[in-house]
Amino acid sequence: MTTTTHTPASGTAEKKTGPWLALLLAGGFEVGYALSVNGSQGFTNLVWSIVAVVFFLLTLFFLSVALKGIDVGIGYAVWAGIGAIGAALLGPVFFDETLTMTKAFWLAVIIGGVVWLKLADSPKLTAHQTDSEPGASDQQS
Amino acid sequence: MSWLYLGIAVIFEVAVGISAGKAQGFTRLWWTIATLVSGGIATFFLSLALLTFDVGVGYALWTSLAGVGIVIVGALFLSQRLTWKKFLGIAIVIGGVVGLNLASTA
Repeated sequence: MTTTTHTPASGTAEKKTGPWLALLLAGGFEVGYALSVNGSQGFTNLVWSIVAVVFFLLTLFFLSVALKGIDVGIGYAVWAGIGAIGAALLGPVFFDETLTMTKAFWLAVIIGGVVWLKLADSPKLTAHQTDSEPGASDQQS
Repeated sequence: MSWLYLGIAVIFEVAVGISAGKAQGFTRLWWTIATLVSGGIATFFLSLALLTFDVGVGYALWTSLAGVGIVIVGALFLSQRLTWKKFLGIAIVIGGVVGLNLASTA
């Protein structure tokens, strides 16, 4: 992590980038968690098991930090999306697995569904929709 | 057997989602403990499921079905509204899970 100086001028920028950085880290650790849980072979491999536990605690910690500054629905959506896409893409890199086009397609549908589901749970986004402006600007693209 | 493990992992991951929400940034002790314990159990059964499933497939199934479970539990017991958007999300996830299974058995 880079060190940031706490000058008043950077205060507002930090408020936005800090939680998002934490969220990206949480997503990265979630991918590591998924891969190491797989590598633990049902928690029979000691090293991978320890790594999995460490990643589990790290992802929880950084997610909780991120959600202090980011709307819960959006935060969970991004975190779950990074975790699932990362695991699908990196599984074949680290393990003896294949990702066919058909499998990738259905995984994309599933991951898209859960990301949508988390966004639908967002108090911020749903508040926009019940307001008079249905096409609110910060809807995800 | 792997689906049974996955199902147990999903149930405990739903518990994680509910208790993590109640823990309010892990400031409430017992909900925090509940989060960690359920997370540990969920992780263990996920690892058993992943002995059979590819990690990409197993993880996506686990996290998305838990997401569906959290919405359903929220609607049934925590008086959260089941909006058409959430319903659509559930339908997409289930459609994807069915599609993936049909494709992999074909």
